Amino acid sequence: MAYSVMIVDDSQSMRKFVRRVMDLSGFEVGSCWDAANGADALALLRTHPVDIILTDINMPEMNGEEFVAELERQDVYRSIPVVVVSTDATENRIRRMIEIGARGYVVKPFSPEALRGELERVLGVANA
Amino acid sequence: MPETGMSEAISAAAADVLETMFFSPVMAEAALDEAMSAPALAARLRFSGGREGTFAVRISTSAAESMAANFLGEETEQPASGQVQDVVCELTNMLCGSVLSRLDSKAHFDLGHPELVDALEAATPDSVSRAFELGDGAVAVFLHLDAKP
Repeated sequence: MAYSVMIVDDSQSMRKFVRRVMDLSGFEVGSCWDAANGADALALLRTHPVDIILTDINMPEMNGEEFVAELERQDVYRSIPVVVVSTDATENRIRRMIEIGARGYVVKPFSPEALRGELERVLGVANA
Repeated sequence: MPETGMSEAISAAAADVLETMFFSPVMAEAALDEAMSAPALAARLRFSGGREGTFAVRISTSAAESMAANFLGEETEQPASGQVQDVVCELTNMLCGSVLSRLDSKAHFDLGHPELVDALEAATPDSVSRAFELGDGAVAVFLHLDAKP
């Protein structure tokens, strides 16, 4: 099954890298949308629903924490699983992001296998 | 915080981040003077939280271009200068996050946005520094922790 994916990161290079690593890992991507921050992602989601969202935390305008919280607030988006992709590996941050609604967390640096494993775990939970 | 622990955290983070994300394995530790001699790009960010301070990366232009091509998967085309700069900022962000997480995994840190700086300004006074040879050039890393209030 090919999944519709949204990648949210203020670095265009990082968005391109994440997409490339998903392809390298064998994770099947159907359509792929990308946004530079949470606000742009919310606007894009109105017209382009997706199966899973990968988001950075540290972004201008609407950061990843605000974005995940906003997705949780809106009934129409609450069921979309969110995986955080961040350099922040501290326990407090990971716990906080999971508490507010993220379903998965991948710490940079990550291997293609690690990313695919987390995406499949999260999608498995979501589809159960 | 002992300087030895900071140096070890920088070395471990550099090896992990450079190989896993940029496909640029560390060949060897390099002398800081050598790493500072070639034309270079540099980025710096401020962090706060458990500890406050400054983190900077200075990378030779040749290594930055090679690394950006690896990161972006550009096998035939040379990345544009803006893409190379973006990748250097991303490298700085990733290295900083990795180092701080290794120094204290239970603390909370907020990382500022990396900004390009003049390569001569990368080294801040009283910072702990390490340099690494990458094959296409060298990268130097600088970590400065502010004094506790």
